[in-house]
Amino acid sequence: MINIEQQNELFKLIGEILKDKLECYVIGGSAMMYYGMKGNTKDIDLVFEHEKDREKIIQVLKNLGYNERGIKVVSIIYPKKKNTPILLERDDSRVDLFVNKIISTVLSNSMKNRINSIYEYGNFTIKVLAPEDLIITKCATERAGDRLDAVEIMKRAKIDWEVIIKESIFQAEVTPYLFPVFLFDFLYELKEDLKAEVPKKVLDEIRKISEDMLEKKLKGKKKIKTF
Amino acid sequence: MKEHIEDRLNKLEGLNTIELIVKKLNVKKSTAIKKIHELKKMGYVETSGGGKQPRLYRVSITRMQKIGNPGLYDVINKNSPIKLVKPYEHRVIGKNISIEEAIVLAVKSENFRLILASLALFNKVKTWSKLYELAKKENVRRKTGALYELTREIMRARRMNDKTQKLLLNAKHEKKDIIAGMHSEDFKDIEKKWNVHIPFNYNDLRRYKE
Repeated sequence: MINIEQQNELFKLIGEILKDKLECYVIGGSAMMYYGMKGNTKDIDLVFEHEKDREKIIQVLKNLGYNERGIKVVSIIYPKKKNTPILLERDDSRVDLFVNKIISTVLSNSMKNRINSIYEYGNFTIKVLAPEDLIITKCATERAGDRLDAVEIMKRAKIDWEVIIKESIFQAEVTPYLFPVFLFDFLYELKEDLKAEVPKKVLDEIRKISEDMLEKKLKGKKKIKTF
Repeated sequence: MKEHIEDRLNKLEGLNTIELIVKKLNVKKSTAIKKIHELKKMGYVETSGGGKQPRLYRVSITRMQKIGNPGLYDVINKNSPIKLVKPYEHRVIGKNISIEEAIVLAVKSENFRLILASLALFNKVKTWSKLYELAKKENVRRKTGALYELTREIMRARRMNDKTQKLLLNAKHEKKDIIAGMHSEDFKDIEKKWNVHIPFNYNDLRRYKE
């Protein structure tokens, strides 16, 4: 497990080692730590815009003694998923590195514009996704821990549900997945099983959007992609 | 989060005066001060004003970690009479942003309001050679020089040494536009001298005269 101080130390070290400026986005538990929503996280999740940036960080981390985790491990953590990250680990510290896609979610321009904060560690700049976008990225993973995290985010931040709805529609346009359908399932589960505060009006709206999308898809008789 | 803290945050979320806090929490003034300061210690409250101005308490239920040192917007807001609304929280770890760096970052940003607010920082530059080196690194030497001269024309600014001025003026291979598509009607002489397009007119700089 990594806490915020250990995360800061690692980023600071990376920033000192990098010869040129490089930036990336942080999601997951790492981002939640910046918001004070979590005390520690199992792994640091970073999203890069360019493969060459990810390659640079992989090199830096390998020089610091990080090793790539095997494909078997990746498939356990992210079962049957495309766009899985490169996973590196050293002792207790794990770093997951994505490029543009986080499993079935695309790092969209609107997400980039909504960033809440920027932390500069020398040549390494970390941009923290907004709470709404953290929820969007969590709905695609099917991991129990991510459900608990999503509930915590809803408790600790004032969520703009319109942002989540619009983003899910956009994600459906740029990925092969019927995002609102899966978002509805996700939020419905959170409300029913974990008593999350998801407004009924929001669930109803997402359900309506999902049904319309499903209907269109079925009329087109195209295969429906699951996560 | 403890139940009573969450409850207090929900009641006070947004901007408050102490009188409003008294009303919202239905407590006496001394208790209200104690409760808001408890939240401030936990990182949920930012204060502004005080002294002649009424003190305002901005309560947020989301608590960003104040890691590192103030970023560009905080440095400019501290040193300029023109205040900026931060589009995001910017923090710098391991060092402090100097006045010279803040000027160069502002020029590089191509953001109208950011550059306008940064003009006041020319009066606080400590090392002109540092300003030159940073401007050289970011390829904004002539732009920085032109904005310095503009600043001298409209308000008080420390005098730049001749050597640095000459070096800034002789810089080559720089784009003309400080902000794409914007040039001045009122400062054509500075534009001609420095071969840049200044994005401001007298009207834009009115705030500095007030």
